[in-house]
Amino acid sequence: MSRRTLVVTLIVLAVVIASLSYLRSLAWRTFHEIQGGEESAHVRLSQEALQPSTGLKQNVTLYFPADDESGLIPEIRALSWAATDPDRIRQVLLALIEGPTKGHNRPLPPSTDVRAVFLTADGTAYIDFSNDILKGFAPGIQSETLTVYSVVNSLAANIPAVKKVRILLEGREVETLDGHVDLTEFFVPNPVLAETPN
Amino acid sequence: MIKSSHRLSHYRTLIILGFILTLILLVCPAQRVRSDNFVFYSPRGYEVVPIEMIGNVKYLPLLPVLNAVGSVSGWQEKRKSMTVYFGKLQLELRMGDKKVKVGKAEVALQDPIRASNGQWMVPLDFVHFVVPRLAERTSYRTGSERIFIGDVKPASFAVSLKSLPNGSRLSVQFTNPVRVRTVSRNGRYVVFLGNQPFEPLEQAFRFEDPYVTELTFDDQDGVPKLILTPGSAALNFYSSETAGGRTLLVDLVKPGAAPSPQGPTASPPVSTGTAGPATPSAASKPAGPAATVSRQAVSPETLLPAVVLDPGHGGEDTGARSRDGVLEKDLVEQVQDRVSAALAATHAYRVVPTRVGDADPDLDARDAIANVAHAIAFLSLHAGSYGTGGPRVAVYTYAFPAPPALVPSEPTRLAFAPWDEVQRAHLERSRQLASALEEQFAKLSGITAPPPAEAPVHVLRSVDAPAVAIELGNLSPDLDAGILTDVNFQQQISEAIARAIEAFGGGTAKP
Repeated sequence: MSRRTLVVTLIVLAVVIASLSYLRSLAWRTFHEIQGGEESAHVRLSQEALQPSTGLKQNVTLYFPADDESGLIPEIRALSWAATDPDRIRQVLLALIEGPTKGHNRPLPPSTDVRAVFLTADGTAYIDFSNDILKGFAPGIQSETLTVYSVVNSLAANIPAVKKVRILLEGREVETLDGHVDLTEFFVPNPVLAETPN
Repeated sequence: MIKSSHRLSHYRTLIILGFILTLILLVCPAQRVRSDNFVFYSPRGYEVVPIEMIGNVKYLPLLPVLNAVGSVSGWQEKRKSMTVYFGKLQLELRMGDKKVKVGKAEVALQDPIRASNGQWMVPLDFVHFVVPRLAERTSYRTGSERIFIGDVKPASFAVSLKSLPNGSRLSVQFTNPVRVRTVSRNGRYVVFLGNQPFEPLEQAFRFEDPYVTELTFDDQDGVPKLILTPGSAALNFYSSETAGGRTLLVDLVKPGAAPSPQGPTASPPVSTGTAGPATPSAASKPAGPAATVSRQAVSPETLLPAVVLDPGHGGEDTGARSRDGVLEKDLVEQVQDRVSAALAATHAYRVVPTRVGDADPDLDARDAIANVAHAIAFLSLHAGSYGTGGPRVAVYTYAFPAPPALVPSEPTRLAFAPWDEVQRAHLERSRQLASALEEQFAKLSGITAPPPAEAPVHVLRSVDAPAVAIELGNLSPDLDAGILTDVNFQQQISEAIARAIEAFGGGTAKP
C-alpha cells in the first residue's frame, strides 16, 4: 500500500468518525435530554442548604391537582424548615416538583428547575422557572390554572410573608404559561380551587 | 523522489481542505433558501426587495431596504462593521451583532446582522424596529411582508360568497374605488386591482363551494391582485364593477345556464328583498372578513351581529396533542367550521374567525379582531388536557389573577379602558353567556358539563364583549382523541353552541 493511499484512508476514516460522533451527539440531545429529572428534584431538595440537619421539622401543606383536575387537594408533609423565607420558598417548590405521594397529579414536571427566587418587602414572591416546566406538560386551561395555583396556594399557605406570586420563565416575563393561563400579572391565592374536599 | 513528495503535499493540502469542507457541510447544512419578496410602498411608488431565509429567519439586504425607505447618501464598509449615512442620520451596524445604532439611539433586534453573497443582511424585524426611526410616517403590520412609508393610505377589502341557481357569486367590497382588469391564467382568474397599495386583513380565503375554491391576495411583485381559483375548469366567468368601483361582483356559473352575457346583472332568485346587483353580502365589515361564508344576502345597513370564533393555537403552536396524534389546533379548527355553519344556519349572526387556516395571530391580535368587529360574543375554542377520561366540555370566563390594584372610591369614567382591563366591564355578561352554554352542553347525552368556572385565560382579557373559553376535554398525551374527532359529536357541540348564542339573546346588533 502506498503512503498516499494510507493518508487518504486515514483522512476518510477521520471524516466518518467525526460525522458519526456529530450525529450521535445530535441524537443524544434529541432523545435523552429530559431523562434524569426524576431523581433530580429529590436530590436538590435533600441538599445541605435546603434540608439543614439542625432545622425544625415543619408540617407543610402542599396543594396538588386532583386526579380529575377538578381542583387542588392538600397533602401534608414534614420538611426540615430552612432558616430564610427564600429558601423555604425553594423547599416548597422542590417538594411540589418532587410530586405527590398519594397518586394525585403532578403540578410541575420532574425536570423543572427553580432558577431563582426573590421575595420583595411588599410580599411578592418572584419565581423563575426553567423552560423545563413545559417539557412533558399537557397544556390546557384547567391543567395550567391548577399548576399556577398549586404553586401560589402552597407558598401562601406555608410562608406568611408571601402575599402574591409572580411567575417568570427563563428570567423573563411571559404572556402565558403554555398558551392559556395569563402570567402577565402577579397572582393572589385562589381559595375556591382548594375547597374541594377529598 | 523530490517530485513525488511535492505531489504528495499537494494532495495533502487538497485532502485537508476537503475534510474541512465536509465538516462545515455536516455542521451547517444548506441554510439559505430564497422565499419571497418584501414590498415597500411610498408616495413615489413601490420597491420590491427579495427576502432571504438564513437559518429559519427572514433577512433583507440592508442597502436596498434603506434605498426603498429614503435615500442613502453614502456608506463606509469595513470587514466587521458598516456605517451608513442616511439623510441626517447615521446608522452603525456590526456583523453578527443584534444591535443597530441609529443616530444616538441603540436599537436591539431579535436576530443578528449577517452577510450573504457579499451583501449586508438585516433580519426582518429591522423593518419593525429601525425603519420607523428613519421615515416620517410608517405603517407596518407585524408579520406582513409590506410596509407603507409616508403619506400612503392602503386600501382594503372584504369578501363574501353566495349561491346562484347554477353557480356562485363572489362579491368583493373595496374601501376605495378600484379599477380592475381580469386576465385568465392557467385555469385561474387574476384580477389586477389598479396601482394603489393594499393592506388586506386576510390574504387567503378558502371556500367550501363547488364553484369557487379559493381567493388569494398577492402583491409580491408590488402589483396588488386577487387570484381566483374556480371549482372546475368548465365554468363561465362574468365580472362587473358597481358602486362606483367599490364593489366587484364575480359570477362563476355553469355554461348554458348563464345569466345575461354582459354581466351578472340578472337578479338571482335566491336573493332576499333588498338584493340588487350592488348589494354586497354579509360578512363584509372590514374587520376580519369571514372565510367560511354565510350564504345569504344582507345589505350592509343591516349587518348581522358578529360572533367571533377563536380557534386556539395555530401554526407552530400546535396546542395539546393526543396519544394518537390529534393536534388541538386542527381539532378546534374543525369545530370552528361546524360552529360557523350552525350559526350561519340561524340567519341571525355573522361569524368572524380570529384565524383562517394554520395561522397563529398573537392573543392581542385575536382580541383586536373581536373589538373591531363589535362582537356580541367571543368564543375561544380549545381542546386541551383536562383530567382523566372525557368527553368533558367546560366553559370558562376570565378571572383576573389579582384584584385591581387601585379601586377608586368613585368610579372614574375614562374615555378608554386600559387594554388589559377591557374584559372587566363584561364579566357579568360573560358569566351569563357561560351559563347559557353550559345549560346546552348539559342537555347532551354522554358528555360531562361541569358548572362554568373562572380561570385566567389570557385571550379573554382584552375582549370588549362577553367572552368565554370552551375547553373540549380531553386531548392529552395519555389518551386517544376518541369521540372528539367524531363528526356527530362535533356537530352536536356546534349546534349546542349555536342554540346557546340564540338563548343568550345577543341578537341586537351593535353599531
